[in-house]
Amino acid sequence: MVRNIVVLGGSSHPDLVNTVCHLLGIPNGRITLSKFAVGETRVEIQDSVRGKDVFVIQSGCGRVNDHLVELLITISACKTASAKRVTAVLPHFPYSRQSDIPYNKTGAPLSKSPTFNGGKNDFTFESRPGTPGPMDSPGLGVSHGGLEKELSRIALDRGADGGVNGVDRGKSHPPTPLRRTNTADSSSVSSSVNANEWVPPKGTGYKQWVAQAGTLVADLLTCAGADHIITMDLHDPQYQGFFDIPVDNLYGRPLLQRYIKYNIPDYQNAVIVSPDAGGAKRATAIADALGMEFALIHKERRPTRITDRQNATMMLVGDIVGKVAILVDDMADTSNTITRAAKLLKGKGGATRVYALVTHGVFSGDAIDRINASALDKVITTNSVPQDQHKRLCDKLVVLDVGEVFAEAIRRVHHGESISVLFRND
Amino acid sequence: MATNSIKLLTGNSHPELAKKVAERLGIDLLDMSVFKYSNQETSVIMRESVRDEDVFILQSTKPGEELNDGLMELLIIIKACKTASARRITAVMPNYPYARQDKKDKSRAPISAKLLANMLQKAGCNHIITMDLHASQIQGFFDVPVDNLYAEPSTLRYIRENFDYKNAVIVSPDAGGAKRATALADRLDLNFALIHKERSRPNEVSRMTLVGDVAGKIAILVDDMADTCGTLVKAADVLMASGAREVVAIVTHGILSGSACEKINSSKLSKVVVTNTVPHEEKKKGCAKLETIDIAPTLAEACRRTHNGESVSFLFSHAPV
Repeated sequence: MVRNIVVLGGSSHPDLVNTVCHLLGIPNGRITLSKFAVGETRVEIQDSVRGKDVFVIQSGCGRVNDHLVELLITISACKTASAKRVTAVLPHFPYSRQSDIPYNKTGAPLSKSPTFNGGKNDFTFESRPGTPGPMDSPGLGVSHGGLEKELSRIALDRGADGGVNGVDRGKSHPPTPLRRTNTADSSSVSSSVNANEWVPPKGTGYKQWVAQAGTLVADLLTCAGADHIITMDLHDPQYQGFFDIPVDNLYGRPLLQRYIKYNIPDYQNAVIVSPDAGGAKRATAIADALGMEFALIHKERRPTRITDRQNATMMLVGDIVGKVAILVDDMADTSNTITRAAKLLKGKGGATRVYALVTHGVFSGDAIDRINASALDKVITTNSVPQDQHKRLCDKLVVLDVGEVFAEAIRRVHHGESISVLFRND
Repeated sequence: MATNSIKLLTGNSHPELAKKVAERLGIDLLDMSVFKYSNQETSVIMRESVRDEDVFILQSTKPGEELNDGLMELLIIIKACKTASARRITAVMPNYPYARQDKKDKSRAPISAKLLANMLQKAGCNHIITMDLHASQIQGFFDVPVDNLYAEPSTLRYIRENFDYKNAVIVSPDAGGAKRATALADRLDLNFALIHKERSRPNEVSRMTLVGDVAGKIAILVDDMADTCGTLVKAADVLMASGAREVVAIVTHGILSGSACEKINSSKLSKVVVTNTVPHEEKKKGCAKLETIDIAPTLAEACRRTHNGESVSFLFSHAPV
């Protein structure tokens, strides 16, 4: 029994909330989450939070934006209702991979997205789309293609009758030079139509700007009034630095290590494999702790569109012939990386069995189908996001419960005890 | 070379309005993509530079499931422009979402409108242009300038051009909208009536009483927002029962969520006129009574004036042609 504490659950992961509350020996905080007819999120908190230590549990999964807005509104509501402290508990942190400029991991746009009208049919095994460059035709998201033509036509008409900007207020204002001048040389371009059709020459075009939504989410949480963040296995450890408030980054590693120790027969002779160079550090940590061998798959991203030969650009560093390979990563989203790695490990590498251990099993898009069809023998993940649906569809899936870790972290944070004991790996 | 020209950006909430505004401004929309990854996270790619430019981001609210997605799109675009060194970022939000969650009317109720204001500023917004805020006090939630435009001049023109307005009465469907309705009545030199309603739960209306005389007249219901249309339909019943010749509704934000269209179709309203602050082209197909006032000229002119540092107050009383 923990006193003076309120645990509120978002709509993303009710099971985890129940587990945490059960372990803490407290009733779930009563909260009603719904939407108004217009689509605005509606939050009603029934329990008083005045002077209480409030924990809001919301994972980044499913309809990520809805869940994020729900979390922000809940935090804000608690804050304005005089909560003593509000802690956001995000088992899987949304937008954590968009913290850096090149979003070149396995995230892929929705192939069924109605706004995605380019390259819909050329699905490859590598379903991450080629990064659109300045020379690509526009219209991946908001389709501006037809509009541009239309506008240049209008510009033609306007150019003919003096180029007034369509706003005539009866005063003698000189026409405002609103038309965009793209480059320094456009002053020499007499007709505005040319400016509209200006295409950057190859190689000198504007390097596209990708939003860093990850830092934004950190800002928004602070802005809503969160005093403390508890999360697990952040994609970038640097992410903690985006916050000005304490961030406790828990590790899924002890859980995964325990699984290896007790559930993989003869694990001492197995090999830990990192599916890409970025995760090498994470994988070596486990290998070192358990005294196991280590191998690494090096990915070469080539712009060529290859289907089968794609595997040729994945290189295995290390020896796994006749051994059990254990892939370790922090996240499986479309599961491209791990399924392709498994193919390589079993095919060229000669592994007998392939396990994949990932902390966050997001499994978006056709990930589950891909895993079912892949060479993976088992995929071990945690319930940092709800896995019930995934588990029904995939026999290979083993789910570890993180409820205990979070409950303990919440208990310790509430009592002001050290949580570093949770980082220990034994 | 930086030119500090207008750049107009838009997300997926209301591209038609953005196109109209861009057309009025005589510019192209910025070449960009706003899309979702398969894990449902929104992302933005901009293929043109906005360094040292005057950026305007037009994002309305698309009613329904994607409302929060639209919000995140806006925040992410603002953030992207900020980190891409835009000189000034103006959010053009014809319909400000969460405007009705603007007070702590119950214990522990969230003031989401304030939260949104904070988030917009945190993301890097320098200026807000919006229209007919549900409560104009929301302007006070911001520490940056907020231009609250009025649809009234456009509405006035519409009434003058489309109705036998000499024989009309302006009716406010609730006490909160009385000010808005009386302003309109004064400008048209018309009589005014008011309907008093008691609301038990949101999106539901209970009892209504009419104050004023509408017998034999065209009753023009004026409101800032039509959501489920329960209020308007009931008000129309009350007005017809009180002897009105015809009942029309003029509303700034036609959100028309849920079964609003069916309600309008089977109601005594002969016409529902909305502005295009909120996308409703799809709904128009299912509802012949719906008509649109285009407010793109007002928005475009507000952007142009803001960009050039001219006064915007002209737009409070005049609608650009």
